[in-house]
Amino acid sequence: MKKTILLTLLAVAASLLYLLPAFCQEDMRVIEPTAFENPQRPAAVFNHDAHNEKAGIEGDCYLCHHSEGKPDPDNTSEGTPCSDCHAVKAEKGKTGLMQAYHKMCQDCHQAKGKGPIACGECHVRN
Amino acid sequence: MHSIYNFATGPLCWAAFIIFIGGLLLKFISMVRRARSSEPYIFGYFSPYFGLRSVIAWLIPFVPRNGKLNPVFTVVTFAFHICLLVAPLFLMAHVMLLQEGVGMHWGTLSDATADVMTVIVLVGLAYFAYRRCTDPTAKYVTGPKEWVLLALVAAPFLTGFLAYHQIFDYQVMVVLHILSGEAMLIAIPFTWLSHMLLFPMVRMYQGSEFGGVRHVKDW
Repeated sequence: MKKTILLTLLAVAASLLYLLPAFCQEDMRVIEPTAFENPQRPAAVFNHDAHNEKAGIEGDCYLCHHSEGKPDPDNTSEGTPCSDCHAVKAEKGKTGLMQAYHKMCQDCHQAKGKGPIACGECHVRN
Repeated sequence: MHSIYNFATGPLCWAAFIIFIGGLLLKFISMVRRARSSEPYIFGYFSPYFGLRSVIAWLIPFVPRNGKLNPVFTVVTFAFHICLLVAPLFLMAHVMLLQEGVGMHWGTLSDATADVMTVIVLVGLAYFAYRRCTDPTAKYVTGPKEWVLLALVAAPFLTGFLAYHQIFDYQVMVVLHILSGEAMLIAIPFTWLSHMLLFPMVRMYQGSEFGGVRHVKDW
């Protein structure tokens, strides 16, 4: 009896463990890089999956997760934190982290004529 | 939102700054020309030393006798003017827009500091409004124009405060903030808000005459 309970509990724990990454992926609701030590504004609202579905860019990861230079479908950077390349304090000739986020979102929103562009439209207070 | 925001932060913003800076430049040139034709002797005793001495004396609280006579007004007006200039110039969101728009950037205040400074500006304006109602000398020179200008200065700070805290509709508030800021800048060269230019000009002139001709202080 004890063995059955233990096994059941283990099975539940294991399935919960698998749920975790799936839950995280679906639940990405803000862009909140830990690189910023003293953020002045609330984290930018960004529902990853809903955004991509609405924008019609599901599967086009390279558009945002670019590697060096221009977005290239064969050279992408998913899983690499933006701050690995874009330092908080901009290095010479490189885009700083905050500018990188702002530019990535705003340039596309401006080009499409859709989506938030003013500060408080992304940095929403609750 | 895109079209009005882009228009307000693009062409309108350029127009406001060109009118603001160009207007002040033209005002400076016309003042000097007027002085040259009607009171040319000013240029004979114009002195950068006595002039700057007067400017600096009037920029230190409680140094001018008038400041000592009105301590509350002195404290409020200094706090108001410092916050009025510093908060918008060093506000992080403004510097960010400038950096992303034209590539210029400089140091910034924390949002919390700028928030307190904005409240000081608004409290200062409320005090000036109260003073214009109660102080006989201020009341005497107060007409509808003065109230419009006080409101014009209050508007960008009030809407900025409300937009920052996201009170009421954010999109409406941020657009009102940009438009009212531009309206205030445009009004500066053409109204008594131009004392930002006339203050140093008048003091340079007055200081030169009082220091170099009458040998007395003008504060």
